[in-house]
Amino acid sequence: MLSPRELDRYKRQILLFGEEGQERLKKANLFIAGAGGLGSPIAIYLAVAGVGTITLADNDIVELTNLNRQILHDDVDIGKKKTVSAEEKLTALNPDITIRVIDQTIDENNAAQLVGKADGILDAMDNYPTRYVLNDTAIKKKIPFFHGAIRGLYGQATTVIPGKTACLRCIFPKAPPKEVFPVVGVTPGFIGMVQVTEALKYLVGTGDLLANRLFIWDGLTSHVEEIRLEQDPACPSCGIKPTKERTKI
Amino acid sequence: MSITIRFFARFREMLGTDILVEHGDGLFLTDLIRNVASGNKEGVDAIFDEEGNFREYVILMRNRRRVDNRKASLVTASDGDEIAVFPPVAGG
Repeated sequence: MLSPRELDRYKRQILLFGEEGQERLKKANLFIAGAGGLGSPIAIYLAVAGVGTITLADNDIVELTNLNRQILHDDVDIGKKKTVSAEEKLTALNPDITIRVIDQTIDENNAAQLVGKADGILDAMDNYPTRYVLNDTAIKKKIPFFHGAIRGLYGQATTVIPGKTACLRCIFPKAPPKEVFPVVGVTPGFIGMVQVTEALKYLVGTGDLLANRLFIWDGLTSHVEEIRLEQDPACPSCGIKPTKERTKI
Repeated sequence: MSITIRFFARFREMLGTDILVEHGDGLFLTDLIRNVASGNKEGVDAIFDEEGNFREYVILMRNRRRVDNRKASLVTASDGDEIAVFPPVAGG
């Protein structure tokens, strides 16, 4: 049941989602993996939209070089744990929701426990090995995985619905080499908004998701493209016969 | 026959995109992409390994359908094909 204060706070989006939709957001629990470039705008917009419980996991400390894009953190936060900084900002943005922070590195041993009973996972990682762990966790828990990734002015997003769509490993079976990637804040801002839009639609039950669709943003030329995807029957994560390559969770 | 090659992300920065290739029948996808990239060593090295095979993480799509890049040297292009080549983007 929405309180009078919540009815007021979310008045303009209740016009869009209805009170029932807002109730669904209030009851939802989403896990954000990372409080960096993607995780910052994702957390901010999930919080102000009224997603009832947000769990944010990150093990890093705020550094000066983060501040061109990681908008959850301010200059005064340099040296603080990102989780501490994030909790302060998100609580100030919306005190009517529950913010949980986890100051740990996600790996295959703790992923299932950290994600817990979340209704979905938002990918705000900066590497594929951890993304594969989260992808496999989502498959095991039968919850959606809202993927996003960026480099420079270029970004991609898709929504993995276990059992229904291609998973991350169907699309990208092999991780690219690690690099210090160039980035300007608008790109994770843009892709993070695509991921949040997907998560909100999924929770409310409206619209069409990026299911079996890879959304590609080329900010250099301002082009949006889409590539159709299909599940790989031989995928080690979600195929008919998952192999030992799948992360043990 | 004409084939359109579309590079994405870092590959696009090096090689451009929407490259129209006019060629006779029977051209394999690996040769097609290598020919298009051949003027740019950085581009070739980003897409192909030392043995001339696609690097394992390179994504290859033919008419928006995935092609296993390990088999691209056995798949021939057809008139009107659109071939997309891109790397996974990893940052966050």
